[in-house]
Amino acid sequence: MKKQMKQSETTFWIDDQDLTRDPEFLAKVESELSPVAIESILTDERAGVFETNRRDFLKVLGFGIGAATLASCEIPVKKAIPYVIKPDTIVPGIANYYASSYVNGGDYCSVLVKTREGRPIKIEGNASSAITNGGTNARVQAAVLSLYDYNRIKQPSKNNQGQLTASDWKTIDEEIKAALGSGGKIRILSSTMMSPTALKAVSEFTTKFPGAKHVMYDAVSSSALLDAAQQCFGERMIPDYRFDLADTIVSFNADFLGTWISPIEYAGQYAKRRRIHMDSVSMSHHIQIESHMSLSGSNADNRILVKPSEQSSAIAQLYNEVSSKTGGATISVSGVNDKAKSAISKVAESLLNQKGKSLVICGNNNLGDQILVFAINNLLNNIGSTVQFDRASNQRKGSDADLNQLMTDMKSSNVDALIIWNANPCYDTPFAADFGQAMANVKTKISLNTTLDETSMLCNYICPDHHNLESWGDVEAKRGSFSFIQPTINPIFNTRQVPHSLLVWCDSKNLNTTAEQPYYEYLKKCWQDKHGELKLSPSDFQTFWDENIHNGVFEMPAASKSVAFKGDVNMAAGKLTKPSNAPVEIAFFEPVAVGGGMYASNPWLQEMPDPVTRCSWGNYLAVPISFDGDRRFISFNNIKENGEEVELTISGNKTKIGAIKQFGQMAGTVAIALGYGRRNAGDCGTGIGTDFNSSCKWVDGYIQYFNTEVEVSNSLGSIEKHFACVQHHHTMGVTSIEKSTGKKFNADEAALVDDAFKGLTKGYQGSLTDRSVIRHSHLNEVKEKVELLKEERKDHQKLNSYTLYPSHDYKYNAGHHWGMHIDLNSCIGCGTCTIACMAENNVPVVGKKEVSRHHEMSWLRIDRYYYGDVENPNVVYQPMMCQHCNNAPCENVCPVNATNHSQEGLNQMAYNRCVGTRYCANNCPYKVRRFNWYDYTTADLFPMNQYNLAAEKTQPFYSDNLVRMVLNPDVTVRSRGVIEKCSFCVQRIQEGKLTAKKEDRTLSDNDVKTACQTACPTNAITFGDMNNKEGNLFRKLENPLNYIVLEEINAKSVVNYTMKVNNRNENLDA
Amino acid sequence: MKDALTGPALGGVGERWASFPKEDLYSWIRNSQGLIKAGHPRATELWNQFKPTVMTAFPNLSNDEIESILLYVDGVYKGTYGPKVAAGPSGAAASNAGQESGFSFWLYLIFVLLIVIALFLWNLMSDLDFQLKRKAGDTTAVRTSIWKLLTSKAIVTFIIFALVLFGGYTTVNNAISLGRQQNYAPDQPIKFSHATHAGLHKIDCNYCHDGARRSKQSIIPATNTCMNCHAAIKKGSKYGTAEITKIYASIGFNPNTDKYIENYESLSESEIEAIYKKWIGDNYVKDNKLGSATQGSQQETDSQWNMIKESLTSDTKSAIPGAIEWKRIHNLPDHVYFNHSQHVTIGKIACQQCHGKVEEMQVVKQYAPLSMGWCINCHRQTDVKFADNKYYDSYKTYHDEIKSGQRQSVKVSDIGGLDCQKCHY
Repeated sequence: MKKQMKQSETTFWIDDQDLTRDPEFLAKVESELSPVAIESILTDERAGVFETNRRDFLKVLGFGIGAATLASCEIPVKKAIPYVIKPDTIVPGIANYYASSYVNGGDYCSVLVKTREGRPIKIEGNASSAITNGGTNARVQAAVLSLYDYNRIKQPSKNNQGQLTASDWKTIDEEIKAALGSGGKIRILSSTMMSPTALKAVSEFTTKFPGAKHVMYDAVSSSALLDAAQQCFGERMIPDYRFDLADTIVSFNADFLGTWISPIEYAGQYAKRRRIHMDSVSMSHHIQIESHMSLSGSNADNRILVKPSEQSSAIAQLYNEVSSKTGGATISVSGVNDKAKSAISKVAESLLNQKGKSLVICGNNNLGDQILVFAINNLLNNIGSTVQFDRASNQRKGSDADLNQLMTDMKSSNVDALIIWNANPCYDTPFAADFGQAMANVKTKISLNTTLDETSMLCNYICPDHHNLESWGDVEAKRGSFSFIQPTINPIFNTRQVPHSLLVWCDSKNLNTTAEQPYYEYLKKCWQDKHGELKLSPSDFQTFWDENIHNGVFEMPAASKSVAFKGDVNMAAGKLTKPSNAPVEIAFFEPVAVGGGMYASNPWLQEMPDPVTRCSWGNYLAVPISFDGDRRFISFNNIKENGEEVELTISGNKTKIGAIKQFGQMAGTVAIALGYGRRNAGDCGTGIGTDFNSSCKWVDGYIQYFNTEVEVSNSLGSIEKHFACVQHHHTMGVTSIEKSTGKKFNADEAALVDDAFKGLTKGYQGSLTDRSVIRHSHLNEVKEKVELLKEERKDHQKLNSYTLYPSHDYKYNAGHHWGMHIDLNSCIGCGTCTIACMAENNVPVVGKKEVSRHHEMSWLRIDRYYYGDVENPNVVYQPMMCQHCNNAPCENVCPVNATNHSQEGLNQMAYNRCVGTRYCANNCPYKVRRFNWYDYTTADLFPMNQYNLAAEKTQPFYSDNLVRMVLNPDVTVRSRGVIEKCSFCVQRIQEGKLTAKKEDRTLSDNDVKTACQTACPTNAITFGDMNNKEGNLFRKLENPLNYIVLEEINAKSVVNYTMKVNNRNENLDA
Repeated sequence: MKDALTGPALGGVGERWASFPKEDLYSWIRNSQGLIKAGHPRATELWNQFKPTVMTAFPNLSNDEIESILLYVDGVYKGTYGPKVAAGPSGAAASNAGQESGFSFWLYLIFVLLIVIALFLWNLMSDLDFQLKRKAGDTTAVRTSIWKLLTSKAIVTFIIFALVLFGGYTTVNNAISLGRQQNYAPDQPIKFSHATHAGLHKIDCNYCHDGARRSKQSIIPATNTCMNCHAAIKKGSKYGTAEITKIYASIGFNPNTDKYIENYESLSESEIEAIYKKWIGDNYVKDNKLGSATQGSQQETDSQWNMIKESLTSDTKSAIPGAIEWKRIHNLPDHVYFNHSQHVTIGKIACQQCHGKVEEMQVVKQYAPLSMGWCINCHRQTDVKFADNKYYDSYKTYHDEIKSGQRQSVKVSDIGGLDCQKCHY
């Protein structure tokens, strides 16, 4: 048991070097702002720009004086241009919100779109939705930026190998109609489509052209799950999983909090059962069975490590255990590793104790696995309780078989016309390259995609679709749960909605082409028919329509569905994967941010660090680390530092790729994200990361997301040039002076290495700091831990009578005193809040190179800490933003008083006063202040700033006028050389206060909500006035689990976190 | 008043109805449709002339009230009653200015006199000194010349010192006022007079600037706001057709037919020109009682049209249709957040406090310096309307202090009015 080193329970770590106290590493994290080394500037390829000699200097000086003189002579005339005819609904300066829906393939969210002067600037969740309940995710938040993507195709065009010739709709319609002719074998290839009206348009099209067929596939397939439902319950559908009703959740490789089917919905349900109420302490038990650390896995109480090829055996093992104990037959099982075997049999026991109150799910694209999982749920009486079918989900519909068939047809020249609709098979299928070649056999190829992606490049006609925010539409994400899409801006480019195009091409009689908005009329007519047919209330259609467009969502009464399991378990047993003997196996997974690649062109999502690996701008090979049992790690293939390159050989294909040492990665396995390495994804996404779609294999008609023919070379040593991993940026590392000796020591190092200091640091927790950054408890010992916490906090608070600003308390108590509460038990680390913050506060995108130099600008970061078992740790996520300390250490070091305290307790930042000394950032114990090293948002335009930081091209990302439309007009765009940080969304505070004043009433909780709070799918963040005794925040502040990060330094932060509670079952580890 | 528009001209109504009893006019004003139905001859005549436009009924008006309105109408029509041109204040300002310049004239005069006296005294002294030295037998003594005095070390040092002081003072002052533009009063594309609209006709500021009470921006009114009145008032009292036609050319209203022009944006410039030149020319002919177009009317029409075209186009806007590009007078830096509704609706501050007496301005100028010091001063001095708004109920401490007499008032600065992030975020 030497290798089973278990860290003391008070230890948290972020990385192996952290855990081993590597001195180099400690030095690295000590320097908080990582000043740019002069060598890195000199070796910079743009160094030429900085070359100045004396004469140039004089020239610049002369120009500067001249320009300054001229500038002071005359103030330029500014114009105020009013409307000619002002729309009634628009009042310049006041935001309008419209209910709509975000849809991209199977991703769905009901949203409210905030528009200012007619342009969408922010997306909020729609609380009326029964599915998403006001939650969002990072992709939804970032959608508003993709609207202003200058890489979108601007008009209908003809395409010849990427050479676009602009055309117009009339010409292109005629040509396409002529090309489609009387029919022939037409294939419409799309991602999952959930719009009933769009599907009706498709059916009109296929009726007109009897040879036409609609094929759907998903970039990351759930085909096996759908086919299993077909076999077990007679219908191809995704069940309505209820995580909020499950006491025990067993997930086989399904990242239901990050990417699987409906993560926003599931996260909301999941968090409901993870919050701790002190009156009845209970929570669900979550077991994740996987090889690599997924977002869901990191939130799990127990992880059971099995290799990708052992998944089937693990499921079969669980089935046999459950079946034999319920008196059923067993199936033959190949072995799974011993540790997992014993764990699974214990899982089976606890599942059997909770019949009807457990949930088993599976993310493997293997028919046998999926049927067995349904069978297990059936044996556990979960069908009808946690696995419901009344509101079965439509969020995945893709069929691998259909996709395969299409490929075969194309290869044998059996397809006359191919219509690509929001799909990119030349990138995101395992046979991407072959698909491109096979497309040569198709005469007419029409792309309806919005950008010139890999597939569109090969099409003859490009008929770009509207962006989601420009469209009309409806969505049926779950059966009977409808939601509507309404446009929030006039189409920016000359684009046309896909169903409109299809209806035009099939000469539909139901489309009034002369109408101002033909597809709107079509949509309305469809709903009018439905309204009449189903006798929906209210009985007046116009009222019904207006109400639902206004609300954005519409729930039909659930049609109760009686389902009976009729799956063939023995057939399933034959389809299971046999465990492989390969020394290394690789798993491919969908990343939380960029998905299957469709979001790769969105800079916000590229810059968002992966929640688990904390890498941005690219995908990295997660490799396991093992422990020698004595504070040293046995490095995998000699990899010493994250980002070191290895040569990865999968089925004979060699690639060089950066590796990252990943805790919780099973020995003998590696993992890598899909969705990167796009070849045509605009300025931002092209060539970022490496594409591994072709390494996925077709097995038994399904895409298999792992591969066993893998070799990983030893470390090649060199680190990827700009390795953009934010893991060690802004860590809260501290050194201190040992009182008795006067020697400087590192508090954390001392805690771990030198026992002499143990007494000194006792009671402090946290990562590098070994201070009270994170607190955690096991469910069974919450009560004791709360008592301990109380004592410790009392000790810390002794200092609180010492304040720098004695007069402040009087002011804080006079009016508002803003504060925040973050429930770490609800927080799943998904990163939605970080993107919401960027959108709300005009936080710039800095690009990969800048991130690699610690220059990311995010005001809100999510710190990830490991704790517990070194080889299979638990994870805690901590959103960290400005803590608005009442004794703020940053304020009193500012030489120009640019940062100071407001009467309402806000730590304010006056950008125009800041001279950029960065003293405040150095003095911030929470490391939340960000410095504008460059003019990332081009507030002024000196040529040196003119670099596209994403793609290193000649134009900065935000200097494009179209992209700048996304900026929030109420928030200053910061320029080079100033510090910025979280403001608690002060613009929202001011707006909320004004609303209350206008309505002549006191401020309520709903008036002021920060961007991170409204975006959160699990309601982990609560913001409010601490003086408001009736408010939500006040109630939450009474939670005995609350603590304040680094309370002992007496900065008097106003952000409260709750103690992280886990429900780990130690028996499963044995 | 003088012209028949959607109905008959108001002026001279008494004469036109003179042949009928007064009661008939009263009931006509109260409910015109009633009188038409009753078959009154004058009513029927008017109805045939102006139908289908129906005059709004005012059943609540008493005879006395109607008589007062008629008196007012008559007075204005005949010029015996009504607002006069506000000569008073500007005259006063002029004399005030005269006084001010007179005052500084005397200052300069005294200054010059003092210098003359100083030179005279110095001359006297040097003379005496010279004589004294001569008397003492100093034969080499010469009279010091003025030039010698002016180039003496003391004077040169003093002048350099004064120059540096003055230079520094002006530099700092100019640097502070860099980007500020108090009294900025550019010529606008339309000679819109606030004195006429807000002063003479007493139109409420909030009618056109309707954002001021509810939004961050006060809002420059859209052209359709102008059309609310100018669909009827088609000629100005001062500039006739020259200025108001600009509104029509912006929005596409044909004053000849009183109809909006269909597909106005797609008309060619010559088509647009024809419409508005006809309007200007016809009116010129009518107003000058020429009978038909003359060379003079042609010239006047051309010159007016050229002005209109110039006003409605710019470097960035080549077509005549579209928004009127006003010159922005009040410019705050981008990093300043100012919300009109907070000050107008909640603070109940009169527009004039920051914008000056706009109702007396022919051309609007920036009245206030719009400097941070100016803002802050006001925030220091202004009392919050603390008792009037329930929002302030949450400020319990202050309410208690007011009750106990500890505190007289709550200034804006007491509720965070001096915080940076009140305005900068």
